[in-house]
Order: sequence, then C-alpha cells, then structure tokens
Amino acid sequence: MEKTLEIKNLSVVRTEKKQSTLILTDVGFSIYKGELFCLVGESGSGKTTLALSIMRLLPKSFRIISGEIRVNGTHVLEISEHLMRSVRGEKISIVFQDPGAYLDPLFTVGVHLREAARGKTDNQQELISLALKEVGLEPEIQSAYPHQLSGGQQQRVMIAMALINKPQLIIADEPTTALDILTTRQIINLLNEIRLKHHPGMLFITHDLKLAASIGMRIGIMYRGHIVEIFRPGKEKPNHPYANILMGTIEGKDIKWDLDTDIFEFNRQEIVGICPFFERCPEKGQVCKRNIPFLWRDGQTGIRCIKYE
Amino acid sequence: MKKFFQRLKNHSRIAYFSFWFLLLFYFVSFFADLLAPYHFDHQFRNKPYHPPTKIHFVDSDGNFHIRPFVYNFVIDDPVFRTYKEDYSLRHPLKLFVKGDERRIFFFFKTNRYLFGVDQPAGIFLFGTDTYGRDIFSRILYGGRISLSISLIGVLISFTLGMITGGIAGYFGGITDQILMRFVEILMVFPSFYLMLSLRAMFPLNLSSIQVYLLIVMILSLIGWAGLARIIRGMVLSLKEEDYVLAAKSLGLSNWRILLFHIFPNTFSYTITALTISVPGYIIGEAALSLLGLGIQEPYPSWGNILSSTIGNLRVMGDAPWLLLAGIFIFVVLINFNLLGDALRNVLDPKNW
Repeated sequence: MEKTLEIKNLSVVRTEKKQSTLILTDVGFSIYKGELFCLVGESGSGKTTLALSIMRLLPKSFRIISGEIRVNGTHVLEISEHLMRSVRGEKISIVFQDPGAYLDPLFTVGVHLREAARGKTDNQQELISLALKEVGLEPEIQSAYPHQLSGGQQQRVMIAMALINKPQLIIADEPTTALDILTTRQIINLLNEIRLKHHPGMLFITHDLKLAASIGMRIGIMYRGHIVEIFRPGKEKPNHPYANILMGTIEGKDIKWDLDTDIFEFNRQEIVGICPFFERCPEKGQVCKRNIPFLWRDGQTGIRCIKYE
Repeated sequence: MKKFFQRLKNHSRIAYFSFWFLLLFYFVSFFADLLAPYHFDHQFRNKPYHPPTKIHFVDSDGNFHIRPFVYNFVIDDPVFRTYKEDYSLRHPLKLFVKGDERRIFFFFKTNRYLFGVDQPAGIFLFGTDTYGRDIFSRILYGGRISLSISLIGVLISFTLGMITGGIAGYFGGITDQILMRFVEILMVFPSFYLMLSLRAMFPLNLSSIQVYLLIVMILSLIGWAGLARIIRGMVLSLKEEDYVLAAKSLGLSNWRILLFHIFPNTFSYTITALTISVPGYIIGEAALSLLGLGIQEPYPSWGNILSSTIGNLRVMGDAPWLLLAGIFIFVVLINFNLLGDALRNVLDPKNW
C-alpha cells in the first residue's frame, strides 16, 4: 500500500525560559492513501504540535530534535523553506479547529478561496466553484464575509480551501470541536465523502474517542507526547490501560482514577526512563520504571506497554 | 464605493457631512485659479487693511436692486486707515468677470473668473492685508498648500511607518531591535525643535517649490516614528492570530502575508490615525510659516497668512479679518477628526 504520510521517531522540544520540555517523544506512524487515521488524546497531549510539525509551522519556541516526516516520499523536514511553501496547501492542507478565528475577518470567502488557489491562474474560478459545490455551498457565498456565516458554513469554507488543490494529505485538527452535534455529523460526512472521492490520506485529530471510533479506520491514542496505542476500532479492542480507561468512559463505566491532577502542569513534567502513563496507571508495577518502546504488531497497529513486550 | 458612503451616512451624519465638506475644501482650493476673484499676489496699493466689502441689495437712497452690488471704499483717514463707502456709483456683482490673465495648472490661460466687480471698486470678502491683497483669494490659494502638504505628508509618513513597523513587528529579532532603536532616536528629539533644526540645515533662499517639498519631507520625517511603533505593536499581536497561521498553511510567502493579511487588519487603526494626524501637518506648516521658515511671501499658505498678523497687536485689533485663516485651519481640523473617528467603525466589516 502506498504511504501518504510516514513519521518516524519524531521528537519535539519546547524551550521556554531556558527550560526545555519534550512535547512529542518518539512518535511514529504511517497513513496510507485514502485512509482515515484518527489521533485521540487529551488537551496538551501534543496532537496539534504533531499537526503543525507536519506543516513545519511550529511556533519559534518549538524545535524538532529528531525524526523524519515524509509526505508521498518528500522529506518534509529536509527541504528548503521555499520548497516547503509549495508543499503547504498543494500537497498537505489543514482544516483548523475554530473556523471563525482561522478566516481573515476582512476578506470575503471568494478572496480566501482565490488565495488558496492562487497557483492556478487559468481555471481558478472553475476550481473554486467546483470546491464550493463539493462542500455543499452556493457560489453566491463568495461575496459573504466570514462573520456573516454560521459555524458550519465557515468550516465548509475552510474545507473547500483545503481541498481546492487536491492535496495528498488533509490534516483535520479538531475540525468539529466548535460545532454542534448535527453540524459535526454533516462535516464528518463531508470529509468522508471527500476522502472516498479523491483518496487523500486523512489525519483526523480529535479528543472525542467516541467520534473517532465511529469513523476512523485506525486510531492512535496519544498520552503526554507519546503514542501509546494504535488499533483498529470495531475489529479489535484496545489493550493499553489508558486506552481502556478512555473506552470505559464512552461505554459509561464508572472509572476510578485521579481527575484532580492539573493536566497542564502534569504534562510539562519531564518523563524520562519511565512509562509516560506510570503515575496514573491502575496496573502499574516496578517493571514499568524503564523506557518502553512502541511495539508494532503487524506494522499497522501496536502498543507501548510492558505487558505486551 | 456607494456602499461605503451609505455606511458612513448610516453610522454618523456628522462624519458624512465632514467628508463632503472636506471634499469641497479640496475642490475649491484646487480650482482656486478660477474661483478666486484676484490672484494671490495682486496688490491694491491704495487699499491696505481694507475691511470686508459689504454686499448690498438696497442702495443709499433706499431703492431695492435684485442684482447685488458693492460700493467702492475710499480711504477716510490715511493714518488710521479707516474707510468709508463711496455712494456715488454702484458696482454690480458680475459672474465670469474679465480680469488679468492667469495660468491654470501651469498650462491653460484664462482671464475670466467666477465672480468679481469692475474697477476701481474691489470685492474683498474677507478684507485685505498690509499690501492690499485680497484675503479671500489668498485663503483659497493657501488651501492648496496647507491641504496638500498634509495629504502628501501623511501619505509619506504612513508608508514609512507601515513598512518600518511592519518589518520590525513581523520579522522580529535583530531587525526589530535595530529598526526600533532608530525610531526611538528619532522620537527622543522634541519634534518642534527637530523640525526647526532640519529646516536650518537648508538655505533660506530656496524657491517656493523647493521650500514646499522640503517642508513636506521634514514634516513626514517627524511624523512616521510614532506610527511605526504602533504598527509594530499591532503586527506583533496580529501575526499570532489564527488566520495568519491559516494563511501560512496555504503556503503564502511572508511578504504576501504581511502585505495582504496583516496590513489590512491594521487599517482600522491606521486610517483613523491618519485622518487624526492630518491636522498636525497643517499646524506644523503653519508653525514653520509663522517663524518665517515655511512657505515664503508672496506665496500664501494658511500658516503664513496667519503669521503676518502675529506680533502686531494693533493689526489684530484693527483688522481682525486677517485671523480668518485660523478659522479655516480650525474647521478643517475638526472635520478631519470627526471623519477619522467615524472611519474606524465604518471600515470594519464586522460592523456592516
């Protein structure tokens, strides 16, 4: 199978006031052509950092210290900034969380779409109306300003901008978080339709495991900058204790673990030579106090837990 | 454009009125050659400190005339320069009257103006100055300099401020440090003394065009520093906006993002700052002229018309019409401020 996105050993560090924190540790997975890969994790677990690393748009305080990202064979981390610009929007595009904030309030939808399709001068208008049709918007919407649109419409515009150049990889960074349940459904269906039609690899980032389980072909679960498990929902049950707890929450089980810890403070603590989930794990033991590698089962799914080593 | 006027009108009637009022001022001073009854350096040697001419409909015998007319003023007391009207002859007001030949915009010649009266009477709506020059005509001509200096000066300092502040804010780091320290050096000097010393670097006997350009340069050189700092601050916060990240994710270059996505978002502030700083240029020019460093006689500007009265209290008391140029400055300033205030809201799409 053709790999659209391949990430190997990616580690990202954030330096703030001369103090460095690992935000992503040894992240590695692949997305195949036409696949919908969901990335699930709590706030602060590094999902957005991962998305921005792929785009090479990390803020200045972040630095990629090791790893390799390939999009359709292109080494994203090694090409020049100039070349990278032609990759952004052309080969990889991204749909953001809060569409209202990610659309420039001064420009009409038409201007936004023309910016997205600026490389295609000869059939630009044609592409724009095609993209608008695909996301289910009327061509008249081009003269509207972002604040005149509903949240769902804004997100559709963002999606139209993302797919106008037929990218090989679409990253959707919590695209439905700001939307209500029905609109969420519509947007998810829309993304799925696009995926089935154009076969881009799709990285769907969400904190909603239930949603991910209902749409994803594979789910990667992130915890404190680590991918702790990748599994196929529906076909197999997750095995990692953290994944179990998460699944428990959506099944309505009563779970016992500390919810009092300040997540953000907690996430910043350095975790070296220890399982990242150690403090909160209900099944922890002395053996967990060492580096635990990510173990692939069949090259597509895997787990980071000592019990399965 | 039509929508813009509609919004401006809906937002504030006063600002809408200000806009047309300012446009009228610009129009009138642009066509001063046709509208002014006399050329700015045309002297009536026998009519110094002539009071504003009264326009009559009723003559000295009590008869009504449909056509307005003026009487010739003759000197009553040459020492105190008091005038009285000579009732022997009526001089009716005429439209498109013939007079001395003038050049319009350096190309066309004309000898007909909008209105006037036959010699020896004169129509001096705002009176005359020491040399018997018509103040009304001089204010029309002076508006050309005062109003255009402010517009050109604002555009220059606006451009400088946008570019410097934008680059400093967007690229940050060492670029930011160097540019902002330079701006601060400019700002530590009290602007008025900086203006004077800059003017002092150039000789006094320059031609009027040279002086004009020089003043524009000096004023805009002083004005851009503050704007640059504010733009820098705005760009600094705007570049962290999500839509800038979105623009980057579309693969736009830094310059394109700065020019097409960040700058337009500063406009709501800069346009207001722009219109509010226009008065500063008019006053700056007036201040230079007042000290004899600005536009030189016989060329009029509102500043030097006003300056000819300062320092001579007797003139101020006896010929108060010489202060009318100050009222023109005042009115234009108020209108610019009103317009600037309203523009900020009108140009923000969120208010549409």
